[in-house]
Amino acid sequence: MKKLANTQGFSAVIGVAVMLIAFTVIDFDGWWTANTIASVLQFASILGILAMGQALVIMTGEIDLSVGSVYGLAGVAFVTLGGTLGVPAGVLAALLIAAAVGLLQGLAVVRGGVPSMIVTLGGLFTARGIIYVWTGGSVRAFPEEARNYWLTKLLGGNLFGVDAPILWMLTVLGVLSVVMLKMRFGNRLLATGGGLASAQSRGVRTGRIKIAAFVLSALLAGFAAIVTLSDDPQTHVTLGELMELEAIAAAVIGGCLLSGGRGSLLGAVLGALIIVSFRYELIALGAPSAWYQTFVGIVLIIAVIANQNLARWAMQKT
Amino acid sequence: MARLAVKPLVRRHSEIGIFLIGAILVVYFSATSGGYWANLYNFGTIMQQTSTMGLMVIGLALVITTGEIDISVGSTFGIGALVYLWLALRVDPVLAALCATAVGAAIGTFNGVLVTRTNTPSLIITLGSLMIFRGLAIALTSGFAFSIPYKQRGAFSYWLLGGDTLLGFNTALIWLVVALIIFSAMLRLMPWGNRLLAVGGSSDSALSRGVRVDRIKLSAFILCGALSAFGGVLEAGKLGSADGSMGRLMELQAIASCVLGGTLLAGGRVSLIGALAGAFVLSSIQSYLVVMGVAPQWFMVLLGVIVVAAALGDRSLQQWALRK
Amino acid sequence: MASSQPLIQVKNLDLYFGSFHALKNVSVDFRAGELVGLVGDNGAGKTTLIRVLCGLHAPTSGEVYFDGARVTTFHPKLAIDFGIETIQQSVGLCDNLSIARNFYLGREPVKRILGIPFLDFRVMRDMSAKVIRQFGLRDNVSVDDEVERLSGGERQSVKIGRAVEFKNRVVIMDEPTNHLSVREREHVNELAVQLKEQGLLVIYITHDIFQVHKLADRIVIMENGEVVKDARTTEMSAEALEEVIRHGGRVVEKRSAK
Repeated sequence: MKKLANTQGFSAVIGVAVMLIAFTVIDFDGWWTANTIASVLQFASILGILAMGQALVIMTGEIDLSVGSVYGLAGVAFVTLGGTLGVPAGVLAALLIAAAVGLLQGLAVVRGGVPSMIVTLGGLFTARGIIYVWTGGSVRAFPEEARNYWLTKLLGGNLFGVDAPILWMLTVLGVLSVVMLKMRFGNRLLATGGGLASAQSRGVRTGRIKIAAFVLSALLAGFAAIVTLSDDPQTHVTLGELMELEAIAAAVIGGCLLSGGRGSLLGAVLGALIIVSFRYELIALGAPSAWYQTFVGIVLIIAVIANQNLARWAMQKT
Repeated sequence: MARLAVKPLVRRHSEIGIFLIGAILVVYFSATSGGYWANLYNFGTIMQQTSTMGLMVIGLALVITTGEIDISVGSTFGIGALVYLWLALRVDPVLAALCATAVGAAIGTFNGVLVTRTNTPSLIITLGSLMIFRGLAIALTSGFAFSIPYKQRGAFSYWLLGGDTLLGFNTALIWLVVALIIFSAMLRLMPWGNRLLAVGGSSDSALSRGVRVDRIKLSAFILCGALSAFGGVLEAGKLGSADGSMGRLMELQAIASCVLGGTLLAGGRVSLIGALAGAFVLSSIQSYLVVMGVAPQWFMVLLGVIVVAAALGDRSLQQWALRK
Repeated sequence: MASSQPLIQVKNLDLYFGSFHALKNVSVDFRAGELVGLVGDNGAGKTTLIRVLCGLHAPTSGEVYFDGARVTTFHPKLAIDFGIETIQQSVGLCDNLSIARNFYLGREPVKRILGIPFLDFRVMRDMSAKVIRQFGLRDNVSVDDEVERLSGGERQSVKIGRAVEFKNRVVIMDEPTNHLSVREREHVNELAVQLKEQGLLVIYITHDIFQVHKLADRIVIMENGEVVKDARTTEMSAEALEEVIRHGGRVVEKRSAK
């Protein structure tokens, strides 16, 4: 049993199971409708992509509070530039901007020695401010031709009846899982977070690993924005607000130990599923939307405490 | 040699940097704003904002000194304002203020107990409480604003709690000065302060000398919660009303103020007056942008850049000062 | 002259860090008025054992008795209250505080003004300076200087002076001669013997079996978390003890017997 519990992401699976049971009992009709499930899966996929990026950063022992703002910034870039310069250019621009932000933050943390919490908090505000300034507070949208472009459809439409975001999330999950489990990068990532000094003494270039994690986190946030907006291409200034908190919550609920070195990509995705499900259920039950935030906060705290204790228990001798 | 004398001075008085910057900015702003920035009324506004934010900054600085962080201070500020306004309609404002502060202390206790008992990073715990109490504030006010009716605004206790001015400056400033003196004294001149600094410097060493590290950290969180809530009380007193979003985004400004003022995020080194100078500088910049007609969103961008630059600069400065 | 009732008793102590078995069924007694050398290679568990005695770790199982009374809560404050002073290797000083503040950390002298406790800086400066200068702190270093600026030897002087000032019933020294000059080492070793003769229990951790054999009444050898030998120095010579250590499969740094 302990061995199973030691599998990262275990808590998330349990969480999902418990949650589904609870919802079935409380609100069978409201919950198990095609519409609700489809929406939940779609939004959970988006958040899941963000959460996976966050999980990577947390696994190196850092944190990225800026993903929500990067998501918003990339989204604005995609819609604004995609509308004028063409969709492929928009995609490229959005990803480049996201990567640039990630790189800057990574450098500030690794070379500048500034705690990641501060750097990314600064990034959160700077990016959000740039969004406001760039859009001037107005809403942007895609012109008709851009909406019908093949790339837009591929990114945000419907494939074989399944919403594209879900497929993209699964793709990302698959690719990252392979990298983490099979390639040396994954090993080095976990080593960096698990014990910086010992990783360095074994020759792991922890600085580069961390920078890579920040860049990936930002890229994934940007990609998630592109996927979201391909489906519904209009932006507003609050795009992505609060998402960083949700992404962290999802990653934590999914089993990342916040001191780094442990984590689960699948767990992060499941954590996102839990969070989005709760939001929908709360809305369905008629609770005011403000309670959602309170709720995420409570779940976050419980999840992180449970994770720490679970990890400690699982590590003890049998 | 003068060079050798400067280094220990910089090491011991990490707030020198912010005072220099502040002085330069004041001169620059005054010169370039044609009297719109550098007048008594505007100055009074800046000081009022600095004062209510300043109480929160002092509390946050205490927590940072122990090596922890509390990013829920903005939510606590908001809750303090709301509790005060709701009660002030029903009971004596002074009692209402006390209750609001007590609620802040309770939030601080919540944070502190979770951090010390569960061995979880304070960043995440206070992230959670930020969300919990922000959500509560919005939910309880249901989007409406609480306010104090005009006829009550002349009373003495109202004046005392930020409702009006003394010699042209909002009474919140008096509270700030009092808090600054008391907590600076506690930090530098009392055993509690010695232990607080020790915990931030090396909590393992402090523990090995018998210091009750958990209790010290808990006390810092409680004080931070109480001070943040009281700041909210004074802000509510000044504005006369508040809604559920009050205090939002103040945490970054508070952290930035501390960092600008020479408080080390790793803990163990703090300057309360420096942190307040940092708060003053940020309020001044914000005011300047308004006076010069710049879109307020630029302040957000600027704030983000300033925080990172300040943290980078602080590290470089301290490293320079440490080289023998 | 050692007394008969043990001051500290350790019975069947086990300590796990996660799945790592750090202390294995350790049983040992310590008496007042004796100097016990605790010897063993790196990782033997010596520092871990004394960290339990200092209250920094609680055992996973087993018992510890102070003065015959079972210890139920493990916290450094309680150990200090019982009378245990320590000189530890990696902890003990806060870099951001001055020497004087470090010296009195946890037991700061106060003068009360209107009932409020204020630090008595004059006592802190004068007394800490007086004590530490005896242990090698040169005059160009002020007790108001931050510990961060001190060399290894100066830091050691602070720790030793502090232990001497606040000694009570037990002094535990973990590699106290680190970073010290030859003369300073002799001073510390003389000091350890003096403390014992004053009736304290002195636990002296070291790698150097030959050096401590001259000072100690008893030697306890640990290896891999276990006590492998507990012998009076009158019964076993240093060479014999060194054989025991080597026989355990590890070679301890050996100083010339001359």
